[in-house]
Amino acid sequence: MSPAARAFFEAAPYVAAFVIGALIPRRSSVLERLAVGIVGALSVLALKGLWPDAAAPVTEKADEWPHLLNVVVFMPFVGAIALLFLPRQSPKFLQRFTLTVLGLNFFVSLFLLGATMTRGWHFQYITEWIPSLGIRYHVAIDGVSLWMVLLTTFTTPIAAYVAFGSVRKRIKDLCFAFLLLHGAMLGAFVALDLFLFFVFWELMLIPMLLMIGVWGGLERIKAAYKFFLYTMIGSMMMLAAILYVVWTHYELAGYLTFDYLALSKVTLPRTAAWLCYAGFSLAFLIKVPVFPFHTWLPDAHVQAPTGGSIILAAVLLKLGTYGYIRFCMGMFAGPAAHAATTLAGLVIAMGIFYGALVAWKQDDVKRLVAYSSVAHMGFVMLGVFAATQSGVEGALLQMINHGVSSGALFLLVGVIYDRRHTRMVREFGGLAKVMPVYAAVFILITMSSIGVPGTNGFVGEFMVIMGTFASNHLGAFSHLHGGLAAAGVILAAVYMLSVVQKMFFGPLTNEKNANLSDMNVRESVAMAPLIALVFLIGFFPSLFLNRMSDSVTATLDRYIEGRIAWSQGAGAEGASLRERRGGPLETGYPLPPSSTRAVAAMDGKEAH
Amino acid sequence: MDTSLMSSPGVMMLFGLSPILALGLGGLLLMLAEAFGRPVVAHALEAQAIGAQPAGPEGQIVDAGAGRAAELALGAAVILFAGAIFSVALWLVGPENVTATERVAPYLLIDRFSVFFSFVVCLGGGIAALLAGGYLPEHRIERGEFFPLLVFCTLGAQALAAAGDLLSLFVALETMSLGVYCLVGLRRTSVRASEAALKYFLLGSFAAALMLFGAALLYGATGRTDLAGIGEAIAGLSGDGLEGRAAQILIALALLIVGLAFKVGAVPFHMWTPDAYEGAPTPTTGFMAVAVKTAAVAVLLRVLLVVFADERLGSWGTGWPPVLATIAVLSMFIANFIAGRQESVKRMLAYSSIAHAGYVFIGVVATSRSVDAQASVLFYLLTYTVSTLGAFGALILAGRYRAEAVSYEDLAGFGRRHPAAALAFSFFLISLAGVPPTAGFFGKLYVFKAAIQGELYWLVVLGLINSVIGAYYYLKVLVFMYMREPKPGAPFATPMRSGYVATALVIAACFVLGLGILPDTALEAAVAAVLGG
Repeated sequence: MSPAARAFFEAAPYVAAFVIGALIPRRSSVLERLAVGIVGALSVLALKGLWPDAAAPVTEKADEWPHLLNVVVFMPFVGAIALLFLPRQSPKFLQRFTLTVLGLNFFVSLFLLGATMTRGWHFQYITEWIPSLGIRYHVAIDGVSLWMVLLTTFTTPIAAYVAFGSVRKRIKDLCFAFLLLHGAMLGAFVALDLFLFFVFWELMLIPMLLMIGVWGGLERIKAAYKFFLYTMIGSMMMLAAILYVVWTHYELAGYLTFDYLALSKVTLPRTAAWLCYAGFSLAFLIKVPVFPFHTWLPDAHVQAPTGGSIILAAVLLKLGTYGYIRFCMGMFAGPAAHAATTLAGLVIAMGIFYGALVAWKQDDVKRLVAYSSVAHMGFVMLGVFAATQSGVEGALLQMINHGVSSGALFLLVGVIYDRRHTRMVREFGGLAKVMPVYAAVFILITMSSIGVPGTNGFVGEFMVIMGTFASNHLGAFSHLHGGLAAAGVILAAVYMLSVVQKMFFGPLTNEKNANLSDMNVRESVAMAPLIALVFLIGFFPSLFLNRMSDSVTATLDRYIEGRIAWSQGAGAEGASLRERRGGPLETGYPLPPSSTRAVAAMDGKEAH
Repeated sequence: MDTSLMSSPGVMMLFGLSPILALGLGGLLLMLAEAFGRPVVAHALEAQAIGAQPAGPEGQIVDAGAGRAAELALGAAVILFAGAIFSVALWLVGPENVTATERVAPYLLIDRFSVFFSFVVCLGGGIAALLAGGYLPEHRIERGEFFPLLVFCTLGAQALAAAGDLLSLFVALETMSLGVYCLVGLRRTSVRASEAALKYFLLGSFAAALMLFGAALLYGATGRTDLAGIGEAIAGLSGDGLEGRAAQILIALALLIVGLAFKVGAVPFHMWTPDAYEGAPTPTTGFMAVAVKTAAVAVLLRVLLVVFADERLGSWGTGWPPVLATIAVLSMFIANFIAGRQESVKRMLAYSSIAHAGYVFIGVVATSRSVDAQASVLFYLLTYTVSTLGAFGALILAGRYRAEAVSYEDLAGFGRRHPAAALAFSFFLISLAGVPPTAGFFGKLYVFKAAIQGELYWLVVLGLINSVIGAYYYLKVLVFMYMREPKPGAPFATPMRSGYVATALVIAACFVLGLGILPDTALEAAVAAVLGG
């Protein structure tokens, strides 16, 4: 970073606040604009002054600019706030503004690829937030979250672009919801402080709720409630577990912290470990979703507008799997390892098989795609439970794949829905004659979803099945699990191909379909990057795998360590704290507060 | 500050009592202004002219205060915010450095605890005054006495939080309550308001009598009236002395808890709450929901932790914690379930305030086991004050003369037609529901953290389950505002235009967002304000 660039970024918040402030007043003089702008800049200054003093700064890595993640996460939020002051009357401008912010965000996030993803945290940034409770603003990425961040920044602009094509009412609210949701999702992927993670995790709920409830279908309100309350129950149980772990850490180490690095060192007493693991898993498994918590998903998907469905399928569900890998496996390795065999059986029987069979029987294409998500996420979770290198890498790749292919499928369903206002399979037939491009693209994405070699789906599913077969975490059942999962792939072909056959081939019976127009420019433009990615991952998976492998190894090492400790009786005699090892995985470890300020707050002599 | 001035006991005495004095003197001035000021004729005539039209259920009232509610509101708000600012000043100097105030002890204890509460109730009162400044003229109930009464009620609430003696406690309680009874019945031609006021008055007097009886029993058992003295006397009881007095003390404890739980509005002493809250003018409702409740919790904390601090009474076997835990659980479950069934938003907010009393009581129960719990209760009350007043304020903003927004149906389509007002309303409701990054979330988190510290895991789990149930009905308002349209021909809410209400909402919103994102200063203050800290 050159000094000039540094100065520019230092000054940027003030300038931005000034500009936003100056734009706020309607029909006013230059002087007034100037005054409000100065107030804006001053309030940024006040905010900076109020912010608690920074903790020990992390040593800066040469090729990593520490503010990059901050820029990526907060750009959508700043955009959302700026959007509030833009005129509602010009929807075109609002749409362009939103797409610009999202596109710029994607561009900036590409710089994350510049760093070599070695073991440990990258682009780490830490500052004190609420010192009296030991809460820090701590963000960083590793090889796991890197891809989740990129998946998010890649998918949301497409979803927004598609949504702007079909949604005609309340554009401003829609743009606001998109930007807020985008920022919250990114924040949840990069947060390493559990409080911060929880804040972003909950922040996602409201915009998604609005997206389903405002722009959804006929049953939208019921679906919105269902989505909100299911997720809320899970997150409340997670909150209880977080507080318990934080408190246990406080009793052992003598200082409060919500930091993931510190809390993952806590070995809880056995029962408590099981309960806390259950609290966390409930939140994540509802989000994934895993049977029997999946019932919110078909409703939410069917009712949500196309853009909302794409985000829901491509990113929101991934937060469940990501959370499970990061927090459940990272903090409660023992219980997670012991539950893995049972849960793997569950996701095979009730995810891969049941999900696929239910999908097969659906009349509504969108519902079919929704249930196929249950089946695909079953594969992802299976790879995670298998906990082998190829299993977890396959699961991560499959997360990206599912984001791409189910996002594309929802987009395609949206295309036909915009034309016919129905999604019932029986209404269609022989569409390939009138919409050749559409049919070709649909079949291509179907191939990717089924996992035909050469497409992305094949690589992911193959690695997951291989990892499962070779897993020694699943005990005696690993071969059975692997075999059954492979058999499950056939079911995917059954339901996807049968719907393709019914919709696109055969005679064109329904007259309403005779004059449908093919995909338009907007839809093709939105599809193009998704198709490109299908083949990119399909042919060059190592581009992705290379960057994640070190982090996956690190995650698995700790998982296996925790599992061994658990079987040797860790936690049987009450809570304990594991030793710190140092090394790249523990840079930024929270230290006990030694400043006078914290001490003063503790004994209450000095108010402020 | 000049050192000689600082050392003068008289000045320091004035300084120590400045938050209370500001309200007392200000209230008197306001009363004079109200009594001797001239009514604005034009407004009065206009009101009369409107009164000639077919009268609504509220009727019209033209009195000496007509047309001047706005000025009086400004005056009351200035007085109340001055009280809040004096509290901050006193806090920064440190009440423990102002030794001169020991002369009013134990009748008024000026410690960090009472200064914190003084700030919270003054803030609540000030915002309520601003809301009233918009609400009363809009709904043609320009009764000038509203504002002096509001100031005196806040004064009572302040004094209640500072009371260290059974006598001053009772006097302060009645100062606060009598004023609120009048404020509830302000709309005197409305049957519903009269019912609300009468119900509240009768039940409130009954509760006050119970408390008085409890206080008398305590005096009988210990021969003391100051809280600390009673606490010591109880701690000193053993053997034969205890034998004869145990029943007396336990009955006194029960009576005091009943009386205060009534003021807090916790289940099963909540029966008056929905009716009184619904019948009262909305600014009064907001004031009752925050200031009265806050002061009652403050005095409850002081009574429990000073008078009944003895470990025999603070234990889970024989003391108050299981009683309060039961009240907390009942309050949360019953209020949340009933709130979900309401059709009126105002009534829903009334039940929600009962449910919030339940969350507060979780913190109060935890004080028996963890020091941090007190701070969590204090912080929670602060966040609850700003969120609740904001929600009531947004409800006021959504209504016009004769078209007060009451039911969910009234709010249908509000989000599309009036995005800014709807956004404000959603924001406060989200805070009440406890979704980050708002103050309400942080308050809840802190209370639950304290309860986990006190190993009250089951209470935390029940509280969290209730947060989910609670989210449902707050969400319902959002659903109606953003996702439904009014039925064809049905009346829909049009927001009123009032700088007062807008200002109040901006103040509340700043606090909600500030406490949600940078709560550190307030947290440290709450930690420093604990009793015996």
